[in-house]
Amino acid sequence: MTTVRKDTYRWSARGFIAPGVLLVAVLLYLPLLWTTYLSFTEYNGLGDPDWVGFSNYIDMWRDPAMVGSVLNTLMWVVGTLLIPVGLGLLLAVLTFDLKGGVWLRLPFLIPYAVSGIGVGLVWSFVLQSNGALDQALAVFGVTDPPRWLLDVPLNTLVMICAAAWQGVGVNALLFTIGLQSIPKEPLEAARLDGAGPLRLFGSIMWPMLAPLTTVVVGLSIVGSLKTFDIVMGMTKGGPGRQSETLAVTMYRDAFVNANYGSGSAIAVFLMIVTLLASLLYLRRQLSAKHEF
Amino acid sequence: MKLGRRLAALGSVLAAGALLVSCSGGGGGSSAGEVEGTLDFYTNKGAWEPDFEALNPLSEEAIGIDLDIASYSDQPQYEAFIRQSFRTDESPGLFTWATGPQLQELVDEGLIAETTDIWDEAIEEGWVSEDLKQYYTYDDKQYCVPLNIAYWVMYYNIPIFEENGIEVPTTWDELMDAAATFSDNGVTPFYTTSTLFTFVWFETLVAGTDPELYQGLETGEVSYTDPRIVEIMNTWLEQEEAGWFTDPGSTTDPATMLNNGEMAMINFGTFFSGSLKGVGMEPGVDYGTFIIPAVDPGLDKTPVPVETGPLCTAENSPQRERGLEYARWWMGPEAQGAWNSARGDVPFNPQAEVSDEGLAELGEEIASGDYELVTRYFEAAPPPVLTVALEQLGAFIANPGDPLPYLQTIQDAADAYWAEQE
Repeated sequence: MTTVRKDTYRWSARGFIAPGVLLVAVLLYLPLLWTTYLSFTEYNGLGDPDWVGFSNYIDMWRDPAMVGSVLNTLMWVVGTLLIPVGLGLLLAVLTFDLKGGVWLRLPFLIPYAVSGIGVGLVWSFVLQSNGALDQALAVFGVTDPPRWLLDVPLNTLVMICAAAWQGVGVNALLFTIGLQSIPKEPLEAARLDGAGPLRLFGSIMWPMLAPLTTVVVGLSIVGSLKTFDIVMGMTKGGPGRQSETLAVTMYRDAFVNANYGSGSAIAVFLMIVTLLASLLYLRRQLSAKHEF
Repeated sequence: MKLGRRLAALGSVLAAGALLVSCSGGGGGSSAGEVEGTLDFYTNKGAWEPDFEALNPLSEEAIGIDLDIASYSDQPQYEAFIRQSFRTDESPGLFTWATGPQLQELVDEGLIAETTDIWDEAIEEGWVSEDLKQYYTYDDKQYCVPLNIAYWVMYYNIPIFEENGIEVPTTWDELMDAAATFSDNGVTPFYTTSTLFTFVWFETLVAGTDPELYQGLETGEVSYTDPRIVEIMNTWLEQEEAGWFTDPGSTTDPATMLNNGEMAMINFGTFFSGSLKGVGMEPGVDYGTFIIPAVDPGLDKTPVPVETGPLCTAENSPQRERGLEYARWWMGPEAQGAWNSARGDVPFNPQAEVSDEGLAELGEEIASGDYELVTRYFEAAPPPVLTVALEQLGAFIANPGDPLPYLQTIQDAADAYWAEQE
């Protein structure tokens, strides 16, 4: 009787889980399998894909722009860690214990509500030649400002800054939550022992923030590896292909050139890099002593 | 209780199934075989949607068909959608595309409905010139009908020309002198951009120097690193270095720039008139057009780049007959006259009434026999070469310098493409 009831319960549970599993399978796993299959084919979106083995994976490295794309993506990973994450941490540390600190953090959080492509368009208006920034600089007598979106690597750097404009607030919010969860006692004890602000941060806050830092840095790495919308909104990967990221290169090959096989190979490569980066980083960081 | 739980679980599964079915299934398709009714029309010309809509009352009255317009403003997204639609039973009854290799690709796959009888009738009625047929002909059969025809000419700001005492140039030397005078007077002569329309000046210089050289690039017989092309690029480089072009990093609408006097001239397709009217410029008062003289004065005929975009019907569309009926009506003088007044473009139908006098004169002048139509580079170059060329010319415009590395990158793409065709 008990077994029958248990079986009934299990079947009901499976029934309830089934819609979710079905949706994930159809919307995530099937496209993933299809993309992986396409990466081994030559396919222009018409007719049937032709099996070409690993040639898309080999050919993509023969394209000099692909190397540039990888380097730009790495620049995005490092830049995003330094600026939005670093500034977010600084903002959180400077304001979490302040009275009214929330009002100082709030303005940084508002841009998070804007979509990436929106951020790209707004900053493109600001940074285009003779745009808002150039006009503002002209007031101060700067008549020959840098070509923000045309020169390499300046264009990638200013795009990272635009991403920072959007990302600092949410990182600061996450770090603030982490700081607020640190027990007061060790901080008080360290203060009584005469620890200054830098010592407090280095010896107490930073180690105790580690689990949250792991999450923020992990999210930042994954997010920056797949950077697409801001670049499309600001330079479309140009001039030439000089500011392309891997995701933009994938889009160009698949949708602009209608070379779905090559685009899929880059997508699979990007997915593997993102998964490996996440796994390596998380395995290293989320060890037993840093259990979250 | 047990039954209730089972029913609830079953209900969840059915609901998920229904959701997936509703996601994958398309609407429409109910009008198979009926010619009259609403025709689903897909276009990448998002900005032209009101102009298409303006023709609806007329088409409804004439043939009982009105368009339900789905417009895209992002070209790659649009192309991916159309390509994908051929794999479904919802392929479009009417859609816009590009002539040249892009149309050929669809025709080769048997995806496009033949329009030979529509063309025969239109030519017999005198609705379209025989010359235009070549852009729609594959194996002696026609596919699609022309959506429009646009000549690539020079638009200029009339008050700026007058203020600087410049007459409309009739030779290349006069055009160069005009540019130098403008430059000396602090006026930027020409518009340029580092995205999308990066091929325009290249096309003008190469076709104007030697139309055969230009056509050689199209067929792969001429290399992009050919010394003659390099020399032309070096001429362009000198002009860039002389400051003859607007800042390529500006994303301001070029119509607004011409209106504001940020440059004196812009080399564009005749559909640009619609944009200029959109910013309040009046033809003949605020702006004018002239055919760009050939770079080489020794040419028998002055080359004029021409672009014609097609209106196509998918062969397996449930709205195939309706789409073809609309295409037939579209070729006629009534539709073309209405289109001209809605869009302000040069109609391909010589019997259509032209509301813009300047454009009407331009059309007549081009038809005079002194000009040679050459296919616009955008349609002439094979798509994989075009993509790289647009990027590399954009990079050259953004950072003018030795043109050879840019040309070599384009030639690498051309080599790869032509090797595949063998």
